Amino acid sequence: MKDKQFWSVAGIIFVLFMIYWFAGHPYFVSERGVMFWSILIVGGVLIYSTRMAKRGEKIFLRTIPGLKAVEEAVGRSTEMGKPVLYVPGIMDMDQVETVAGVVVLGHVAKMTARYETSLNVPVSRAIVMKAARESCRESYLMEGRPDLFHDDMVHYLTDDQFAYAAGVNGIMLREEPAACLYMGKFYAESLLLAETGNSIGAIQIAGTASPSQIPFFVTACDYTLIGEEFFAASAYLSQEPELIGGVKGQDYLKILAISVMILGTFLNFFHDLGWTSWDFLAYLTVQ
Amino acid sequence: MFFKRQLPIAIAATIGFLTLFGWFVDEPTIKSFVDDDATQWFDILASFAMFLGALNLLKMQAMKVMKKQKGWQYAALAIAGFAFSFTAGFILLGSYNVEITEFDDPAKVATVLASEINLDEKSTENVLVAVPEGDPYIIETPYFTKNGADNVVEQINAAGGTAHMRATDWGAHISTRGSLFNWMFRFIFTPLSATMFALLAFFVASASYRAFKIRNFEATLLLISGIIIMLGRVPIGGSISAWFILYIVVLALSAGVNTWFKNKTYTLASVVGGVLIVTIAGFIMGWPVDQPAIFYLPVLQDWIYNNPNVAGARAIMIGIGLGIFATSIRYILGIEKSYIGE
Repeated sequence: MKDKQFWSVAGIIFVLFMIYWFAGHPYFVSERGVMFWSILIVGGVLIYSTRMAKRGEKIFLRTIPGLKAVEEAVGRSTEMGKPVLYVPGIMDMDQVETVAGVVVLGHVAKMTARYETSLNVPVSRAIVMKAARESCRESYLMEGRPDLFHDDMVHYLTDDQFAYAAGVNGIMLREEPAACLYMGKFYAESLLLAETGNSIGAIQIAGTASPSQIPFFVTACDYTLIGEEFFAASAYLSQEPELIGGVKGQDYLKILAISVMILGTFLNFFHDLGWTSWDFLAYLTVQ
Repeated sequence: MFFKRQLPIAIAATIGFLTLFGWFVDEPTIKSFVDDDATQWFDILASFAMFLGALNLLKMQAMKVMKKQKGWQYAALAIAGFAFSFTAGFILLGSYNVEITEFDDPAKVATVLASEINLDEKSTENVLVAVPEGDPYIIETPYFTKNGADNVVEQINAAGGTAHMRATDWGAHISTRGSLFNWMFRFIFTPLSATMFALLAFFVASASYRAFKIRNFEATLLLISGIIIMLGRVPIGGSISAWFILYIVVLALSAGVNTWFKNKTYTLASVVGGVLIVTIAGFIMGWPVDQPAIFYLPVLQDWIYNNPNVAGARAIMIGIGLGIFATSIRYILGIEKSYIGE
């Protein structure tokens, strides 16, 4: 969408919304107003950053060692003539992390297609299998190597957490992949997978937004994408300006969040001292 | 191209906006869609997709067996397991109960029933006598086969009682305790899962060993924090006095003095001085085992766990939250299209 079109559409939506708001905003849950406006602000900042990036604004994206190592890992597998194992987590496509995992898989598949390296993607959900398969198929097609793609590179194991971990561990021990990539949502199986990968001497890169699993991956893997780094992976690997713009938008939002926290600390302090009657924390609390 | 590109993005955008902003709308139809219908649609889709998954699994394992690939024996076992659970779930009911409605002479019925419920005859008779009048007695553990249940019914009827065989309803047989499927779940699947989970204990140990190896400042910090947290959370941690920890701190500081000055006199002075100060201060102030509290392990671990640890975790959580939101917005607005292969 061009700038003029974009601002026209945004303006029309804004005017319609203002009419709705000043007409008494029927059906709107007023107690959730703070959350609603926060979403609009956050969404606005992200869209603004994306558009700025698309217009050619130069954006510095720091080097993320874990993502830089992905290509190294695929290269190592190629040199050793061993496959790359990619685990997109154990949850379904209703989790953003799984979707992000499938997105990163697309980029990894491009590399394996380029280097003619074997890729093995065991999945624990049938819908993820279909999505991951499509993603890989497109990647191989885009790299001009559809002949190297076969459906069975993405295959289903089981829905059960520990049965899946046992299955993946079995694959690791039998096939001894040179690189193991874990990108998605993980629970207790994270350490089972990562330690087995470590025992076979594979280079391991993990990415997850599950806070309780990050320490396990940090301990057992060579590189770990912590939280937001994982979500920035697609932008980093594709170098698409629109996606990199979103990452910059996230940084603006972090500054905003820190500012609100500092402001909130002071306002809460003043409230506790009785200098002001406005309970800022109660106002921010989502109903 | 329209069906592979524009349509999926349009569906993602529409449903995404609806579920995102539906949370702010007090309208029953939208609320019910956001809270129930949308997730149920997903569950229905996922259930149908299971067929694809199961077929893929069978195909892959069968190919391994046919080609005699490395570890084909496991693939054969996987196929056998699949076939068994499929049979126990869809083909064999595997759950037949025996219901004894009349037992005028409990002693005679008990002679047959005793071996079925693993009790002696006297206890079985007491069990039957204790059944309220008019109520039937149902043998708790169902039989896997109809024949098995019929045999018991015949024996009880021959012993003067009146018994009937009652088959469990289809569907309920999955969760009925003692059914064939339930037996498989409880005695094969659950122990196997528990075995995998138990491996975690050993992996935690090996991972901790690597993480705690003193390589640099961060690893040392991790080691010290780990020891404090581990000791502070077990009963023995509460028995270690704060004095003892203070003595260790004095020794650690003296080691620092030694490294810094490389002078034995200074080192000795810091050790002796530190120990004396702690001991005298303790006696004068009458420190009990948990004083000074900052050096008492349960208090110290609590502080580490609730302050530096929570601060770090929250920083990560804020980043994750923003990352999830930004990623979702990218999908909803169609900025990120990699998930459909673009």
